[in-house]
Amino acid sequence: MKHDLAKIPEIIGRYPQQESSLIMVLQDIQKEFNYLPCEALEQTAEALHVPLSKVFSVSTFYNAFSLTKKGDVVVRVCIGTACHIRGARQIQEQLETALKIQAGETTRDEKFTLEVVGCVGACAMAPVVLTNEQYHAQCKVHTVKKLVSKR
Amino acid sequence: MVSLTINGKVVRAEEGEYLLAVIRRMGIDVPALCQHEAVEPYGGCRLCMVEITKDSWDGWKKYVTSCLYPVEQDLIVTTHSDKVNDLRRGILDLFLARNPETPLIQKLAADYGLTRTSYEAIPEPNDCILCSICTRVCDAMGFSAISMVNRGHGKEVAPPLHQAPPDCVGCLACAQACPTNYITYEDVGNRRTIWNKQFELLVCDKTGRPTITKEFADYLIKNREIPEDYFRIDDASHREELADKMGRITRWSVTEEAK
Repeated sequence: MKHDLAKIPEIIGRYPQQESSLIMVLQDIQKEFNYLPCEALEQTAEALHVPLSKVFSVSTFYNAFSLTKKGDVVVRVCIGTACHIRGARQIQEQLETALKIQAGETTRDEKFTLEVVGCVGACAMAPVVLTNEQYHAQCKVHTVKKLVSKR
Repeated sequence: MVSLTINGKVVRAEEGEYLLAVIRRMGIDVPALCQHEAVEPYGGCRLCMVEITKDSWDGWKKYVTSCLYPVEQDLIVTTHSDKVNDLRRGILDLFLARNPETPLIQKLAADYGLTRTSYEAIPEPNDCILCSICTRVCDAMGFSAISMVNRGHGKEVAPPLHQAPPDCVGCLACAQACPTNYITYEDVGNRRTIWNKQFELLVCDKTGRPTITKEFADYLIKNREIPEDYFRIDDASHREELADKMGRITRWSVTEEAK
């Protein structure tokens, strides 16, 4: 994915230029780039009149924000209780083998990032895997690789 | 004015005052690690926990952080009941797991009868107790150069992006306020390094001794209406005056004070 940093001012401009807009601005930047580029943090701090240290503090506090580049597709394996009971670890291992990376890492071609997450609130569908925002229900060890096959 | 009972003694206090201030005024020793006179109470360390009740509460008791609890009419406060001491011991047990080698923690824990943690101590401990005094003092100074980053067991004090903080002026307020001397800096000649950022120190015209950083002086001259040559004269009255101006958060030069 090409990251067009020139888009940042437009994103910041969507909200009132004040401290209380901070999280909304960061969320939109995260959505656009899949992570928070340094330049974005600096520009946000300046535009919203918030110290850079506070912007950094907020962006490292929430799991929803990432400071490292992610792949085009973020694959999230739920390892919450219900998914764990129904074999989430095996699903995770399958994906790790298929992508040749460990959870938390991004493939070299920057196509996929693999993450494990706590409960995603869809326990009846366990085990659950998310690709970006799409939920995949009742994943099976022998078919889960399809989710990350290169198209 | 309200009147309340602390450890059996009736005392009077201003409305809006916090319990800890009243307790300390009575000379009672209640531990608190995140308390600093220059900044608002924080409620972070939980050690100033006390037991409160009222006659009208029908035997109910509450445990509150005294640094953040405003005084109330007819409140009955106990600072060292068995239960309170137990709570403090539990908190110190956790502190010992995080900071097993920190003298301040070791001493406080020993006061409560603990010599080692019952938990597993963290493998590579440092002296940061996460009291956040440094970041709050930095905010109070008006710089906000450093902040708490991450959370849970990864929480730490750090400059933004883990790089030399752009807003830092090298005033040393954080290092001087740090209760465990975790934050370090280095003064060599007229150069100062803190948070991996280099500063040049101004020197006294007469004695040639370093005073404060150029950046800090520029800030004070601009924002606190201090004359420009003020930091080029190194004498005791200037030191005192500046310390007063800055709410005694930071002093002129620590090297001088150490002599």
